[in-house]
Amino acid sequence: MFTFDLLINAVAAGLMLGGFYAAVAIGLSITFGQLDIVNIAHPTFVILGSFVAFVINESFGIDPVLIGVVFMPIFYFLGMGLYQIYYVSFEKTGQESLSGLAFFFGLMFILEVLMILAFGVDYRLVSAAYIGETLHIGPLDLPLRMLIPAVAATLMTIAVVLYMSKTFMGKAIMAVSQDRLALQLMGADPIRVKRIALGIAIATAALAGALLIIIQPVEPSVGRLYIGRIFAIVVLGGMGSISGTFFAAILIGVVESFIATFYGPSWAPAVGFGILLLTLAIRPQGLFGRA
Amino acid sequence: MRSFTIRKWKGRILASSLTITDVEAGYGSVRVLHGVSITVEDGESVVLLGSNGNGKSTLIKCITGIVRPSAGAITLDVDGVTTDLVGMAPQDIVGLGIAMVPEGRRLFPALSVEENLVLGAFRKEARPMIAENLDFVFETFPRLKERRGQLAGSMSGGEQQMVAVARALMSNPKILLVDEPSVGLAPILVSQMIAKIKELKDQRAMTVLMAEQNFNQAIKIADRGYVIVHGEIAYEGATAEDLSNNDMIKEYYLGA
Ligand SMILES: Nc1ncnc2c1ncn2[C@@H]1O[C@H](COP(=O)(O)OP(=O)(O)O)[C@@H](O)[C@H]1O
Ligand SMILES: [Mg+2]
Repeated sequence: MFTFDLLINAVAAGLMLGGFYAAVAIGLSITFGQLDIVNIAHPTFVILGSFVAFVINESFGIDPVLIGVVFMPIFYFLGMGLYQIYYVSFEKTGQESLSGLAFFFGLMFILEVLMILAFGVDYRLVSAAYIGETLHIGPLDLPLRMLIPAVAATLMTIAVVLYMSKTFMGKAIMAVSQDRLALQLMGADPIRVKRIALGIAIATAALAGALLIIIQPVEPSVGRLYIGRIFAIVVLGGMGSISGTFFAAILIGVVESFIATFYGPSWAPAVGFGILLLTLAIRPQGLFGRA
Repeated sequence: MRSFTIRKWKGRILASSLTITDVEAGYGSVRVLHGVSITVEDGESVVLLGSNGNGKSTLIKCITGIVRPSAGAITLDVDGVTTDLVGMAPQDIVGLGIAMVPEGRRLFPALSVEENLVLGAFRKEARPMIAENLDFVFETFPRLKERRGQLAGSMSGGEQQMVAVARALMSNPKILLVDEPSVGLAPILVSQMIAKIKELKDQRAMTVLMAEQNFNQAIKIADRGYVIVHGEIAYEGATAEDLSNNDMIKEYYLGA
């Protein structure tokens, strides 16, 4: 049965889901799309963000979104340190392609195991006054546990897009994988540029993780469910385009929500790859790719 | 168009020179430069002539720190401060006010013309002047203003060379190194480009070192120059006339 109410609620749920996907995908869009670093561990950093939010929320009752924002600078330094290790161990010696991938795989497992040791394998939740609330606008039902993450994710995307397009460092991040030597000739240190970029990418995971645990309960290995979908979103949006990633995330969210509403939730996860393959057949550079 | 014929830019007296002494350099075990010494004095246009594979680009790369010399010295004098460039990273050398237009242009192909130009102003000293420098390069190359939003990789060769020169100017350099601007361009475009570089040099009171194998084009900008053969300076011409009258150059370039 196909009713108008069902339709607009499916769209709204999809937009909100897509907004959250964007929060997770933005960081990968920077590492994978701009730096050519296949950070397969990115969703695991998101889960780390969820557990930070969980621990602090449980102990002090602080709002999870606020925790996510406050931890962004700490995750930023974590990301910078991570790049430094990656650079010294792999990039410097030119082994980044295969050993680099193994490094991020290993990192993913180590982080996961550490989180399992610390928190066990149970699903964890956060509490906030708005989590059970729903905003009703006419026939629209907007659960705040979906709406607030979507709004926060959109604001974060806007901030990252502005940084990339308005600052010298942002432009250098866009340029560094195109011609590293030419970037040096502009007076920029490519190592520093990449360190800052990975710092920003991991910083977004702090907030994305807090948003995730508002939406649903989290256990340490739940991040793996997102890896395929998030890579699909980045490629679909167009490598190197942050705003493209955002719109691709929204698109995937809406289509998944439609499928879940009208055909059943079990089909939804296959949708991302279906759209990705279809798009790449017609537009190999992705929806918003530059070249 | 604005014109600055005295050697002043924004009220500062600029003096900049490069001294390269007995430089040896190569790639791995292959020696390319064998004791090369050249100087580029303040406000000069010096050309480095030599046919393909003789070491012109290698010497330019030594100056910007892309290739590290195994022996010899490269010193930069800017406003009375002397810096030894050997061992410095390219980004730090560029930070001192040397800009390089590399062989093959090396633009950021997936960035727009304007984004390429803005990146040219990355170094700290150039940032406050970005707006006026952008106006200046758009005035100099109106074509780039029309095409400011186009991806650099999709421009023609001549337009890409304009972007490369304009991008170097965005860093507000005291010394401009230009490596083979003629490569891949039709002769008419090369003439225009060389004329433009000469004009820019006078307007911006820059010091220019240009590597070029096309003698007839390079001579148009030369105050003086060197001929490099198999990694050694084979001839030094104190004036453009000296270069034109030299027998070896005639043999190499003019088919005499
Ligand atoms: N990256 C490199 N690795 C190894 N050899 C090189 C490299 N670049 C240049 N050469 C060699 O160094 C010599 C001088 O090259 P180059 O400086 O590019 O000459 P030019 O600019 O005068 O054409 C040539 O024999 C060239 O093959
Ligand atoms: Mg060359």
